[in-house]
Amino acid sequence: MNQLIETTLLLEIDGEQVEVPQGETVLKAARALDIEIPVLCHDDRVEPAGCCRMCLVEIEGQRRLQPACTFKASAGMKVRTDTERVARHRRGLLSLYKADHRLDESGTPVSRGVHDMLADHIATYGTGPELEPVNAPRVSREHDTNPYIQFDPDACVVCGLCVRYCDEVEAVSAITLLGRGASTTIGTADQRNLLDTSCELCGGCIAVCPTGAMTEKPSLEQPTEQIIRSTCNFCGVGCQLDLHVAEVPVTIGATGGGSSTGANLPVGTKKKITRVTSPEPGTTVNDGNLCIKGRFSYEFIHHDERLKEPLIRGADGQLHPASWEQAITRVAEGLHGVKQRHGADALGFVSSSRCTGEENYLMQKLSRAAFGTNNCHQCAAT
Amino acid sequence: MEKKGAQRSRIIELLEEHGGMRPGVAREVSRETGVPEADIFGVASFYTLLARPGSRTRVCQGLTCMMAGADRRMQELRDSGVEVEPVSCLGQCDRAPAALDDKLELVAGPRGAISPVREDQAMQLGAEDDASYAALARAVEAGPEWVINELKVAGLQGRGGAGFPAHFKWSAVRGQREPVRYVVVNADEAEPATFKDREVMLRRPHLMLEGMAIAAYVAGAKTAFIYVRGEFKDCRRALDRAIEQATPHLDRLIGGLEIRVVEGHGAYICGEETALLEAIEGRRGMPRLKPPYPTESGLWGKPTLMNNVETLACVPSIVGRGGPWFHALGRTEPGSKLYCISGHIARPGVYELPLGITLDELVQEAGGYVGTPRAFSPGGASSGFLPMSERGVALDFGALAKLGSMMGSAGVVVLNDTIDMAQAARWQQIFFEDESCGQCAPCRIGARVQRQAVDRWIDGKNRTGLAQVEEVAWEMNEGSICGLGMVASLPLQSAMKYFSEDFQ
Repeated sequence: MNQLIETTLLLEIDGEQVEVPQGETVLKAARALDIEIPVLCHDDRVEPAGCCRMCLVEIEGQRRLQPACTFKASAGMKVRTDTERVARHRRGLLSLYKADHRLDESGTPVSRGVHDMLADHIATYGTGPELEPVNAPRVSREHDTNPYIQFDPDACVVCGLCVRYCDEVEAVSAITLLGRGASTTIGTADQRNLLDTSCELCGGCIAVCPTGAMTEKPSLEQPTEQIIRSTCNFCGVGCQLDLHVAEVPVTIGATGGGSSTGANLPVGTKKKITRVTSPEPGTTVNDGNLCIKGRFSYEFIHHDERLKEPLIRGADGQLHPASWEQAITRVAEGLHGVKQRHGADALGFVSSSRCTGEENYLMQKLSRAAFGTNNCHQCAAT
Repeated sequence: MEKKGAQRSRIIELLEEHGGMRPGVAREVSRETGVPEADIFGVASFYTLLARPGSRTRVCQGLTCMMAGADRRMQELRDSGVEVEPVSCLGQCDRAPAALDDKLELVAGPRGAISPVREDQAMQLGAEDDASYAALARAVEAGPEWVINELKVAGLQGRGGAGFPAHFKWSAVRGQREPVRYVVVNADEAEPATFKDREVMLRRPHLMLEGMAIAAYVAGAKTAFIYVRGEFKDCRRALDRAIEQATPHLDRLIGGLEIRVVEGHGAYICGEETALLEAIEGRRGMPRLKPPYPTESGLWGKPTLMNNVETLACVPSIVGRGGPWFHALGRTEPGSKLYCISGHIARPGVYELPLGITLDELVQEAGGYVGTPRAFSPGGASSGFLPMSERGVALDFGALAKLGSMMGSAGVVVLNDTIDMAQAARWQQIFFEDESCGQCAPCRIGARVQRQAVDRWIDGKNRTGLAQVEEVAWEMNEGSICGLGMVASLPLQSAMKYFSEDFQ
């Protein structure tokens, strides 16, 4: 099989030679030369679609501009990304996108998500004709009460990357391109709430959205001051997380049990996680992907009722803070007591999937070697 | 990611069977086919006849019908309590203003004329249809290479609009390594002002079927698809009858050919060849990127030979009477051609004439002008408008392209001096905005920008949009994926260029 022998080819981009493997796209060849070709609808994890038209370049012998993301490099090919034709196309296209986009007071495209690529491209490449807003008649799903994912059709460039990601990477296919022409947008079957679809709320659509049309509901309007890399401990995969942290105002009534004061009064600030993202695709084991737990279940970290020290229930029936030594002694006494009264098989040991493999190993060792029962289990085992 | 065993190509017919885009239908079709529910809902939302199902009268708002008072007709119907929906060109410009009833059947009206039968016509619409399949027998006897060579000598250009030499496609498919190939007949006639394929299917379906069978024989295809416009119910019936009659001949001559008729569901863009393939496969009819071309990777990724109805209808006479005979029928380019003509002329209809005649000759065949002609659109909405000073131009692929217009599907509309050309441009821009598939931004947004520019001018005498038309048109032409976006500004651009007085 000759596929096993990797052959390379030489092509030229903006006058510079580059050697790439057979079958590589013009976009990847350009990246190898550090030549920036703007994209919106591209992500290395899904099949290139060539539909946002941002990456069109001139290729010698081709009458039309061609999308760098899909066009295969060939030996001797001459590509130009620096011509006036390409620049004019980028400006003209960005003008159209801008006319179809929600803008802020300064006339800049709005993004509420992790990427702001439309505004970035406009800042880099400029716009052509100043066009009036087109007010495209897109339908929205404002009634969608799912707790995590919000979609703003007027901040969407309809590149369909979220739809392709949901289908090709997650194999969930919960969302679709909906409608036709100027009204095309992103929808669900019968425009139902995401909770009533095959959606797993992984939030991948948010991560790939180039313009922040898909956003984390809990993170709306929340700043990022610092990013801290961490490892998700909801399961054993070891997904890397970027925790976005900021000092945010603390208000009475926003958290804390039961007291309904009516108004949320600011009483100071607190360091809090405002959003969780994955590191860039291709850089860590999770390749840019996260699940619902990794992306959205971070509230416990700074929750007021989070357990931070051992508690032992006293004779008064109340829980009292204790040292680890006191707590472990108390547990050991209890377990030995049960074994003496009822035998080892009256005991059972359950460990958490949030423990490491080593910790889980020690747990079963404790069960079998220390207490002498095979009644041990781990919550991810079934 | 397609699930194993999913029956995607069935979803559009099932959506129709279950009543289109209504709550719960996508779920039911998903259960029956294994295709994800959201995907099915997205497909349904793309096609007008599925997205807006229901019994109502559909009135054509194409250029010719609007000139003939479609607005008035809609108002009259509404006044009499009928539910009315304005729809894109119905391909019934000879019956303008045209309408479909609540069962998608044509509301009766006088049908257009056809030219009298003459010896120098390759298709002779007025002659009795020939179901002998003698040309297919001759093709089989002479062999595929001979047929391709005759097509080459004949100089047959694709009659769907692009005018691409037919023999290139035929030999390209034949030369592929992949043994499974398909033939597809593009019968999704929807270019405004065009109704010639309709007449071929109604009057001479065997001509088309025989051309299709010859194509299948040459391409080595065992299955042929006919993608016929959903609004053409009468054509579908004519095809079904003819296929039944053709079957014994196909069995005898080429060992049988599986013929599948697939109906469209209201999307002009599916006339674009790769969008049509997507529709047959059960997807939203969004054009694919080219290359690769369908000859190499078409239906389900297999080599696919796709031709327009009229192109195939020319093939039997080329095989029967020879390439040189066909070539000599044309005046400036090879062959005879079906010209559709409507608008301000006496006898709208389909006329088969030498390729390259002038407008005046065509109108003469159609009984003369009505009123004082001012403009004409030579080849459908995509060709824009030309002033009468160009009446002497040869109506062929090359000469019209030189004028920045196009031969297209040869749907000619004549507009007299009662028509405001800004208004005429608006009708065409509405068509392109409605029919843009929405996949790529230049067309999706640009078509709306251009329509709003002419709206602002007509409704508010505001010129700001008009000043941007050329620059937006440039980007639409450069940036769009398919031909629709590339030409979608032409009606407005050409109206502004040649009839600037209507924009003052």
